[in-house]
Amino acid sequence: MLEITNVTKTFGGLAAVNQVSFSVNEGEVVGLIGPNGAGKTTLLNLICGIYKPDSGTIQFDSADITGQPPNRVCKLGLSRTYQIPQPFGAMTALTGVLVSVLNGKKRPNMSLSDAVPEASYYLEFVGLFSKRDTLARDLTLYELRMLELARALATTPKLLLLDEAMAGLNFTEASRALEMISNAREQFGITILWIEHVMKIIMSAAKRIVVLQYGRKIAEGPPQEIATDPKIIEAYLGARYAQNK
Amino acid sequence: MVDFELRRDRIVARWGDQKYEWVIEPRYWRNPAIGVALLALLPLFIYSYPNVLTMMTTANLYAAVAIPLGLQMLGTARVNFGPQLYLGIGGYTAALLNLHFGFGPALTLAATILVCAGIALLLSPTTWIAKGLYFSLITLILPLTFLDVTFIWGDIFRGEVGLAGMSPLLTLGKVTWNYLAYFYLSLLLMLSYLFISDKIVRSRFGVSLAAINENEDVARMMGVDVDRYKIFYYVFPSVLTGIVGWFIVHTFRTFAGVTYLPLDFMVKILIIVIIGGRAYVYGAVPGAYLISIVEDSLRGLGPINYVLFPLVLILAIIFLPRGEGLWGLYHKRHHRDYFPTLRVRRD
Amino acid sequence: MNETVQSILIFTFIWGSIYLLISLGFSLICGVLRIFHLGYGVTFVLAAYGVWAFMENAGLGLIPSILLMLLVQIGFSIFVFYKGVFQRYLDREEILLTVSLLIFMFMAQLANYLYPVTDGVSIPTTLSDGMVTIGKVKIANQMVLAAFIGILVTAVYVIWFLKTRTGLIIRAISQNLPAATLMGASVNRMYYLAMILSVIPPTVCMLVIAPFWGIDPFMGSPLLMTAMLIAILGGLGNLKGSIVASYLIGFIHSSVSFLYVSRFMGLAALIVTLIVMIYRRGGLFVGETIW
Repeated sequence: MLEITNVTKTFGGLAAVNQVSFSVNEGEVVGLIGPNGAGKTTLLNLICGIYKPDSGTIQFDSADITGQPPNRVCKLGLSRTYQIPQPFGAMTALTGVLVSVLNGKKRPNMSLSDAVPEASYYLEFVGLFSKRDTLARDLTLYELRMLELARALATTPKLLLLDEAMAGLNFTEASRALEMISNAREQFGITILWIEHVMKIIMSAAKRIVVLQYGRKIAEGPPQEIATDPKIIEAYLGARYAQNK
Repeated sequence: MVDFELRRDRIVARWGDQKYEWVIEPRYWRNPAIGVALLALLPLFIYSYPNVLTMMTTANLYAAVAIPLGLQMLGTARVNFGPQLYLGIGGYTAALLNLHFGFGPALTLAATILVCAGIALLLSPTTWIAKGLYFSLITLILPLTFLDVTFIWGDIFRGEVGLAGMSPLLTLGKVTWNYLAYFYLSLLLMLSYLFISDKIVRSRFGVSLAAINENEDVARMMGVDVDRYKIFYYVFPSVLTGIVGWFIVHTFRTFAGVTYLPLDFMVKILIIVIIGGRAYVYGAVPGAYLISIVEDSLRGLGPINYVLFPLVLILAIIFLPRGEGLWGLYHKRHHRDYFPTLRVRRD
Repeated sequence: MNETVQSILIFTFIWGSIYLLISLGFSLICGVLRIFHLGYGVTFVLAAYGVWAFMENAGLGLIPSILLMLLVQIGFSIFVFYKGVFQRYLDREEILLTVSLLIFMFMAQLANYLYPVTDGVSIPTTLSDGMVTIGKVKIANQMVLAAFIGILVTAVYVIWFLKTRTGLIIRAISQNLPAATLMGASVNRMYYLAMILSVIPPTVCMLVIAPFWGIDPFMGSPLLMTAMLIAILGGLGNLKGSIVASYLIGFIHSSVSFLYVSRFMGLAALIVTLIVMIYRRGGLFVGETIW
C-alpha cells in the first residue's frame, strides 16, 4: 500500500533521513522504532507531505505522493496523529473532529448539522462523547490522545500514521489506548504505521518492525528477530532490554 | 431551477448538485430583529438633524469595513493592519471611472469589484509567503504607499484635495430625503455584510476557518485546503471593502485618499474590531456606533478633538472588559463558542 | 566621474548614515524585546518638541533643555510604553500595537495643537554653517556632520554590544531568552536598559538634522515608515541587517531622487523591500537576534 523508495532528506548538511526504503502492505501493523534523533518523525512528515524529500519516491496505493501537500495526501487516505498532541485549543472536542469529518474527504453537500452525528460517532468510538463540549485545552493527556485518534479516524484514512501514541500514558491508559487502536483497525480496516518508544506495546502489536538509526534503516523484520538482533540491541535497546526479556 | 424545501428547523436549497442549508433559529431572531428595527426606525424620528443621520451613516460604513476585516483575519489567520487599502482602491476606481469616463454607478460597481479582486489576487500570496510578523507589516505599509502614490500622481488622484462631484447613487427631491435614503442604503449594506459573515462563520466553512486560525499545519493535515481558503478569505473581504469605497464615492460624492488611507482611519477600524468585541462579526456594529458617536461629539470641541480622540480610544481599550468588549456586555459568550485569538506573529 | 554618480554616492553615504540613527533604536527594541514598536515615532516628536518646549516655555538654554528632554524621553519610554503598554498587553499583540500607535498619534496631535507649524518651531543645533564641496557636489556642512555623528553613534553601539559584558548579556537575551535567564541574566533590568538605549539614537538624529530637515509635528510618521522598511529589509531586530539596509535604502532614495524624480523615493524603497521579501523571507539577515 505504501512504498517508500530511497527517500532522503537533509537539513543543512545533516541527513535526517538517508536512503530509507520499506513498504507497508494493506492490513498490516508496522512499527517504526529507533533511538532519539533517528529520523522517525521526519520520515513521517515526509510521508505526510509536510516536508518534500530531497530524493526518492513515496507511493501510496500506486499513486505518487512524493512532495504532495498534506491536504492532498489526507484526501487520498492518509492520516496521522502527533507526538505532542496538537489539538485545536480553543475549539471543543466535537468541533475539532468536525473539521476532519468535513475536510477529510470530498463531501460536497455535507452541512454542519449533517456532520455532527458522524463526528459524535467518532467521539463515542474513542470514549470522548461525554467531553464533546469541553474545550480541547481543558482535556487531560489521555483524552487529548484519544481526541487525536478520533480526529485522525474521522478523515476515513486507509493508512494511519501514529506518532508515539503511548508517550506519557500510564499503564491503564496505555492498555485502553491500545485496545482503541486495535478496535479501530478491526472496525475500519485501516493499516497502521506506528512510531513508538514503548517497546512492550510495539513488540506485541506490530507484525513487522522497521528500525532506523541516524536516518538509515538498519533492520526490518518480525519483532522476535528484531529483539534478538545484536546490531539493534547494541544501537538502541541496550543491555537493559536484554535483561527484561 | 432552485428547489427550496422547508424542514422543521431549516430551509434546504438545492441547485443542481449543490445543497445549501439555512438553519432557522427563531430563538435567536428576536434580539437582532429588535436591533435592526431600532436602527431602521430611529432615523424617521431624527431626520431633521442631518448631522446625526450622517453620523449614523458613517457608523454603518465603519462597521461595513470592520466586518469583512474580521472575516479576513479569521480566514487568513493573520492580522491585517491595512484594510483601508481596498477602500482607497475601490473608491478611486469608482471616482476616476465616473469622472473621466462617465461610467454610471452600476458600471463603476462592476469595475470596482473587478479591480479590487484583481489586486487582491495579486497580493494574496503574501498570506502564505510572508511569515510571522511580516504580513501584518506589509499590510501596514501598503495603504501609506498608496497614499504616497496619490500624491505623486496628484494630477490624476488630486492628492490632498481629493476628487469631487461624482454622480450620486440616487437623487430624491429634497436633501433630507437623500440623507435618509443614503442611511438606509448604508444600513442595508452593513446588514448584508453582517448576514454574509454570520452565515459563513456559522457554517461548515466557519469550522474550517477556526481550524486554520488555530493551527494551520494541523488543519492542512486534516484535509483543509488552507491555501485556497486563504486566497478566498483574502480576496473576498477585500472586494467587500472595495464596494464600501464605491458606496462612499457615490453617496458622499467626494473622495480623498487622505481621509481614508492614513493611519488614523486604520486605527479607527482596528479599534472597532478590538472594542467591538471578539465576536468579530456582530461586535463591529456597536463598536462602529461608539466610535462614530465619540468622533462626532468631540468634533464640536474644535481643533482639540484631534488630541482627544486618540486619548479617548486609549482609555476605551484600557477600561473595556478584556476580550469580550462591547458585545460581551450584551451577550455573554457560552464557553463552548469559538473565541478566536488574534496572533500577530505566526511562524 | 560625472556629477550624478557623485551625487548619488555622496548622498547614499549621508542619508544612509542618518538612517542608521533612525533605525538603530527600532531594531534594538525589535531584536531584544521582540516587540514591533509602532509608537517609535514618539521619540522624534518628543525630541524636537521637548527641546522647543523647554527652551520656549521654561526659558532654559540649549544644553539643559536637551538633558531634560532626554530625561523625559527615558521616563516616557519606560513608564508609558514599557510598563503601561508592553507589560500589560504582551499576550495580546494586536492591542499592544494599536495602543502604541494611538499613543504616537496622541503625542503628534498634542504637539500640533500646542505648537502648530505656524509657530516656526526650530532648534538651534546647527553645529557648523556653510557648505563644503566634495568633487562636484556641494553639501551643507551640517549634513556631513550629521552623517559622521550617525556613524559614530552606531559604532559606539556596536562596540558596546560586542565588547562589554552588558552588551553580551543583551545579545544573549535576544538570542535565547530562557537560556539567558537560566544563566542569571536579570531580564527586566536589561529590558529597561534596552528601552533607554533605543531612545538615544533617534534623539541625536533629531537634534542634528533639525537645522536642515525642518520640524513639523507629523514628521514621526515618514521617519517611522523608513525605520520599519529598514528593519524589514535588514531582518527584524538585526543590527547588522539594519546597518546594511540603512545604506541600501539610502542608496535607493538617492538614486531615485537623482536619476528620476524624488517623489518616488518611498515607493521605490517599498518595492525593493517587497521583492527582497519574496526571495528571502525574513529580510537580508534572517534570525531575529541583535547580532
